Amino acid sequence: MSLLELKNVSKIYGDLKALDNVSLHVDQGEWVAIMGPSGSGKSTMMNIIGCMDKPTMGEVLLDGVDISKESSKKLTDIRRDKIGLIFQQFHMVNYLTAVENIMVSQYYHSMPDEKEALEALERVGLRERARHLPSQLSGGEQQRVCVARALINHPELILADEPTGNLDEANENIVLDLFAQLHKEGTTLIVVTHDPEVADAAQRTIVLEHGKVAREVINENFGKETKA
Amino acid sequence: MSKKRMFLRMITASLLRRRSRMLIALLSIGIGATILAGLVTIYVDVPRQMGAQFRSYGANMVLLPEEGRELNSETLREALGAVPETELVGAAPYRYIRLDMTSRQQSFTAAGTDFGEITKTSPYFSVEGRYPENPREVLVGREIAETIGVKVGSDMELTWQPTVLAGESTPEESRVPGALLSGSAEGFGTGIVYVTAQLDENGAIASVTVNAETQTPEYGGLVAEDEAYLAQFTGKTLPLAPGDTDALTGATVTSEAVVNALNSARKASEDAKPKTLSFSVSGILTTGGEEEGYVFMSLADMENMTGSDHLDVAELSVSAGAEQLEAYAEKITAASDAVRARLVKRVAKSEASVLEKLTALVFLVTLVVLLLTMICVSTTMMAVVSERRREIGLRKALGASDQSIRAEFLGEGLFLGLLGGVMGAILGFVFAQVVSVNVFGSSITFQPLLLPAAVIVSMAIAALSCLAPIRRAVSIDPAIVLKGE
Repeated sequence: MSLLELKNVSKIYGDLKALDNVSLHVDQGEWVAIMGPSGSGKSTMMNIIGCMDKPTMGEVLLDGVDISKESSKKLTDIRRDKIGLIFQQFHMVNYLTAVENIMVSQYYHSMPDEKEALEALERVGLRERARHLPSQLSGGEQQRVCVARALINHPELILADEPTGNLDEANENIVLDLFAQLHKEGTTLIVVTHDPEVADAAQRTIVLEHGKVAREVINENFGKETKA
Repeated sequence: MSKKRMFLRMITASLLRRRSRMLIALLSIGIGATILAGLVTIYVDVPRQMGAQFRSYGANMVLLPEEGRELNSETLREALGAVPETELVGAAPYRYIRLDMTSRQQSFTAAGTDFGEITKTSPYFSVEGRYPENPREVLVGREIAETIGVKVGSDMELTWQPTVLAGESTPEESRVPGALLSGSAEGFGTGIVYVTAQLDENGAIASVTVNAETQTPEYGGLVAEDEAYLAQFTGKTLPLAPGDTDALTGATVTSEAVVNALNSARKASEDAKPKTLSFSVSGILTTGGEEEGYVFMSLADMENMTGSDHLDVAELSVSAGAEQLEAYAEKITAASDAVRARLVKRVAKSEASVLEKLTALVFLVTLVVLLLTMICVSTTMMAVVSERRREIGLRKALGASDQSIRAEFLGEGLFLGLLGGVMGAILGFVFAQVVSVNVFGSSITFQPLLLPAAVIVSMAIAALSCLAPIRRAVSIDPAIVLKGE
């Protein structure tokens, strides 16, 4: 069953076709990587999937709902309810502690629940760092907090934008392991990256070039212990 | 945890953990609130302060005797009953006479007064040395002190020359041999007996004539005609003691009246004589005004010199606005038939006009401070929004509605306003106190209403100042968080 489906989606800025008649679909529970050089339309696609932008043409179905023509207010609601976001720059509220940052997400979604937020931190192995401010956390720790934040409201889709772009290899592996766990639990993951190693961890890689889908690669080795 | 608590935790954490920038916003609100609270405090207190201040420029009301009536300490006290004691700052009585300083052949005006009251009605009087405290001490105006060369501690002899009325013997004459004395006394049945005594060159009685028309003709009336009776006075000196002379048989009371009349004639002539007293200078007075040309002495000393407790004028310092002052003046004039009150218009009017100008000034400054505070807070909040663009983008990406963003920034603004208001109320009171002590020389009481008022105004200013920054915050595109900058 497809969770996300793009049908002939184009995004045009003036003369520039950032996305040019793109169609793709992502199934429920699938782990998909989106790759491509800069200027290939990755960010535009990410914005559209993340309900932060609307396509100029085409349909975007998220969980069966066409989000391509919704108002930005409605898009905010959909994003809040269905999507967990992870960013390259981590993006934490720098004056709130790790657990409070997770509670911010709960606050906008429904109800702040410190216990649940602490459990989410436990899950990413940062229970004992809950009361630290972002400035007191390493980059890898911050990104793990962001993973915990992204999954706190049980989203249909986790959308990660270069999640390991600012991490060293050790932390990159920790984050990828977390993704693998989430995948096992049935979470749908879309990871935008230019790092082939990160793309290789996914089941399928969609390669964008000049605003079009250049090719799709199925990862034959998916699920096998390649890092051993 | 409830949403409300999370909201509070977020906005307080933003202020408490981010410090620097918010501190600037807090400072601008705090300083604005401080100045406003201070100004308002001073303004509320100012009529009282101004009143006290103006009282220090001198009296604002004078009391004068009605035509043909006598102003003295008694009639003055009665008249003052019309002004509430709490409003009456001071009432200084004055009597002016001319005194001669024989050693210098100088003559000047002497004022008899109550020094305790002078310090209240004319606080601007500056005394080198001290005010007279003991009998026979004088305060000398600087001008006089310089002219005649006296210093604090100097002695000076002052002579009073009674005013000579037409038809009366002059004091000079009464002192020389051969003076004529006249006096009167109550005789039998309340009739008045008049006597005239001619003195010889030694001051002894040369002859006595009596007018006893009011007495019973066949008894008392006879004293005017009985040669032997009248002759017994010749050669005697006044005053007469009991037993110095014999009474006329059958006219004991009238005879006694003759003696009394002679003695009173002698006393009157003594009183009417120039009197010279020695004074010591307790202080030199500087006022910058005409008072520097006067010598001040206590009313008791002046009465001692002149034999009368007459007053010329009383200067009042009343703590009241122009209208109230007018009402008091009318009340005094109506209540007393001996005294009428007049306002010193110059002082009363300028007090009202200064208050009016001050109101306008405070209003204007308040407006300017409000505006400056708003500009400052608004600019700072604008910078804060720019600085927090990514955080705001993140919040929106996480699902924050425009409404939430508005509420959060407004919440932070109101929280700032609350802190700034409390700070302003406290510091403002300190500020007002300092100004009051330095400018008006008196302390002020804390107005309990100041705290809520300062807080409400600060919060309102902060909220208003946040409107434009909030609009900008709401317009931030959540997508900025995706583009790794």
